[in-house]
Amino acid sequence: MIDLVQNTIDGLMIGSSYGLLALGFTLIFGVMRRLNLSYGPSIMIGGYFGTVLYLQFGAGPLVVAVAVVVGAALAGLYVERLCFAPMKAGAAIASMVSSFAVWMQLEQAAILVLPRHTYAFPPLATGAPLEFGPFAVRIDHLVMLGCALGLAAAVQLLLYRTRFGLALRAIIGNPVAAHLVGVDVRTVMPLAFAGASAIGGVAGFLVLAVDQQVTPMFGMWATLKGLIAMMIGGLGSVPGAVLGGLLLGVIEVQSQWYFGPQIRDLAAYFVLFAVLALRPRGLVGSLSEASTQKA
Amino acid sequence: MLELPVLELKDVSKHFGGVRAVDGVDLGVARGEILALIGPNGSGKSTIVNLICGLFPLTAGRVVLDGVDISGMPMHARVTGGVARTFQNIRLFGQLTVWQNLWVAQNSGEQRRQNFGRRWFGGSRGARGEVERTLEFFDLAHKSNELAANLAFGEQRRLEFARALSAKPALLLLDEPAAGMNAEEIDQLDNRIRKVRDDGVTVLLIEHQMELVMSIADRIAVLNFGRKIAEGTPAEVQASPLVREAYLGTPEIA
Repeated sequence: MIDLVQNTIDGLMIGSSYGLLALGFTLIFGVMRRLNLSYGPSIMIGGYFGTVLYLQFGAGPLVVAVAVVVGAALAGLYVERLCFAPMKAGAAIASMVSSFAVWMQLEQAAILVLPRHTYAFPPLATGAPLEFGPFAVRIDHLVMLGCALGLAAAVQLLLYRTRFGLALRAIIGNPVAAHLVGVDVRTVMPLAFAGASAIGGVAGFLVLAVDQQVTPMFGMWATLKGLIAMMIGGLGSVPGAVLGGLLLGVIEVQSQWYFGPQIRDLAAYFVLFAVLALRPRGLVGSLSEASTQKA
Repeated sequence: MLELPVLELKDVSKHFGGVRAVDGVDLGVARGEILALIGPNGSGKSTIVNLICGLFPLTAGRVVLDGVDISGMPMHARVTGGVARTFQNIRLFGQLTVWQNLWVAQNSGEQRRQNFGRRWFGGSRGARGEVERTLEFFDLAHKSNELAANLAFGEQRRLEFARALSAKPALLLLDEPAAGMNAEEIDQLDNRIRKVRDDGVTVLLIEHQMELVMSIADRIAVLNFGRKIAEGTPAEVQASPLVREAYLGTPEIA
């Protein structure tokens, strides 16, 4: 019983980083209706920014965190300019395939600049875990959970309580009409894209700080985890992203504990399959679902 | 006419492949008038509206708004510049409420005057009051919190008109606003268009409903096969042999 609870706690903590990844992913999907496969690699580029500052100049965690977030946002903007801005409405496949090409490009660029497979990344909190009776929680995990819930709430507020959010939702519903009532789509889209990549950057920094290392493979890992969590939760839904992430984390930790590490990813994919088979839109209704109703 | 026209089309053409949808049209809309643009189906009326609001690039010619050439401007900049439109086939934000549909559009009307923070995050009490008044004017106040997708057809038409007006245009382009309306609704539409004009908005109206056109238009321009074949007061246009010929066989003109 104690194991089950401790595993659930660990799963929620790890899952909160998946939730953060899914949050950025789902924003891009919600606004653009495009799958950005270069999402994870953009975050990996941010991670490399951070690790260079750390190794070359001995930067502290806060500076590194800012570097990762800014780096991810800039790389995200680069992806937007290259893969999404030039594609006319409807060219979803072209955008997705070119985002795959940029993924490969970013990964190779990272390997060229820092040829060793692994580089050290500064830890966030090295203190002993907090004890609650028989249960223990790592401090950096708690920060991760706090960031996930806080950022999700902030994004939800931005979307539903501000005019910027209203403009975004108008674009989601009908891009041409939004442009024609005066929404500056060409400014709002890249802003949203960079913001979503920055959220991914926050997730990236937290995960890398826990792992204390960065590799070029981090890009693929981040895209995969974000994608799975987003699909479980529901495309384009903010609460869905967080819920999907937390659920994915718990499933992974529990299955690893009870069935071993080989089963861990298998179990995650099985749950993804089951959710998609039973509820193709994911667990939570989404922004895009509402907007498929024609006005 | 001493005053500068609000809108001038100068030798405007739009070709789609070999099709000359609009072919060398000159047109001026004077401040404060209601100009109706009529013509048989496929004569290029909607294309002209699309060219004015920037949905397509021009093949040739210039679009001048208040003396400024807007031919190359993106759509949203034209809205802030003072052009708003409605669509023949309604394009509302179905998943937003009636109130929010207006609020989005009103935002763009305020871009000229407001700082970034208020433009994107706040909104003055006065701005909210304006949305309320627009809703009253279009008899939509009681539907304020309904999703636009759930409105009846007539209400959606009114909301489309209200949304265009919320951007506070100097020039309003109405693309077949009476399509699908019954006599009573057309009557209300007639009154609203007059009221909007009296409030200082210039109106370019595209409409097949000839009773409405003859009732409210100050001037009428007639298109056929992408060319302007007549322009003048309703009486002048009705008397024109070219116009009669263009409409021969269609029952729409009285």
